[in-house]
Amino acid sequence: MLPARGSYPDGDATRTGQLHAVKKVLFEALFVAAAGVIVAFAANALSPRGLKLSQDYFHGETLPVPRAKATGTAPASSTNATPDAVVARLVEKGLQVVNGGQVSELFHDPLYQQGAIIFIDARNDEHYQGGHIPGAYQFDNYHPENYMGTIFPLCQAAQKVVVYCNGGNCEDSQFAALTLRDAQIPNEKLFVYTGGITEWTNRGHEVEIGARNSGTIHK
Amino acid sequence: MPMDPSAKKKRLEIVALVARWFLGGIFIYMGLVKAMDPVTFLKLIREYEMVGNSVLLNSIASALPWFEVFCGVLLLTGVAVRGSALVLLGMLIPFTLIVLKRALAIASAEGIFFCAVKFNCGCGGGDVLICQKLIENTGLMLLALFPLVGLGKKWALRFSLWPVGTPSDASVGAEKAAQSA
Repeated sequence: MLPARGSYPDGDATRTGQLHAVKKVLFEALFVAAAGVIVAFAANALSPRGLKLSQDYFHGETLPVPRAKATGTAPASSTNATPDAVVARLVEKGLQVVNGGQVSELFHDPLYQQGAIIFIDARNDEHYQGGHIPGAYQFDNYHPENYMGTIFPLCQAAQKVVVYCNGGNCEDSQFAALTLRDAQIPNEKLFVYTGGITEWTNRGHEVEIGARNSGTIHK
Repeated sequence: MPMDPSAKKKRLEIVALVARWFLGGIFIYMGLVKAMDPVTFLKLIREYEMVGNSVLLNSIASALPWFEVFCGVLLLTGVAVRGSALVLLGMLIPFTLIVLKRALAIASAEGIFFCAVKFNCGCGGGDVLICQKLIENTGLMLLALFPLVGLGKKWALRFSLWPVGTPSDASVGAEKAAQSA
């Protein structure tokens, strides 16, 4: 005959013990999660590369530009863009677009040497140092505080400001142009070169390596 | 000849210890890769099109890498090990599903074979083939089970957060059972 319910003290003890152990692990996980969140935000605040939580880096563009159909197993890289989609978005934002031919003309215009036309490279340090349009200034939109002091007076004095990034579906030039516009640089001065450095080099133009006016020119 | 149970247990403990260290090391590395370039990570998260609020997007991109590093350090040093393993599992499972969903969308949009999908999932390792990523994540989830079940206690600074003097789970259970009898 089976014993009555509740008359298995050893079994109950094991079950209660297991439940207690599970609770302990859950509480420990909650504690780790809470401590981890605090440590993580503190580390971001202390890091020189940390993000500012309240800054809208994408100017309200919550969705990225749609990607073009890739061929084969090619990675979905930043150069597989639909140029039409990029241009459409820029036009929608009220920004002016320039193509490779126009940028080449602006680069060879004597006004470029005089500072009345300036080029802005909206990429990060690594990419800028790796090769930029000769004479272009760097303006990393994700750390505007590091560049605005230099860039702002130059943009104010210039007649035309050409902003570029990698090209393709790279949106950094768009965001940099919008940041400059938000800083009261007149929209009619701002032009986005959608082809970017990829098209520039593909057209056989030279690039400057390292800092601006480093003198190291590569073709 | 059957293996001595104590030798078997010892071997399992060594495997669990290596699993704990490996898992901790991987999370520290992956977290630091992202923490050193949070802007790239921010852009990659945005591509998932799951977070529309900029403050939330920035919060995830800024905190998640350091959170991974934190959990990795706990595992590596052996502090709050079971809780940390549970937290890592709690991240790995949904993240793997999200990456899977995005890979399915890319395969469908580009009309390519699922395992040929290669993209930067924001996991910390750059461009990766999706099938390789899924296998890696499954492996990490299996490794996390070792510390979660309480193995790998050797050289742990404080395996459980609760004080050493806390009555054992079994004795607590026995006391409660005795009281209710």
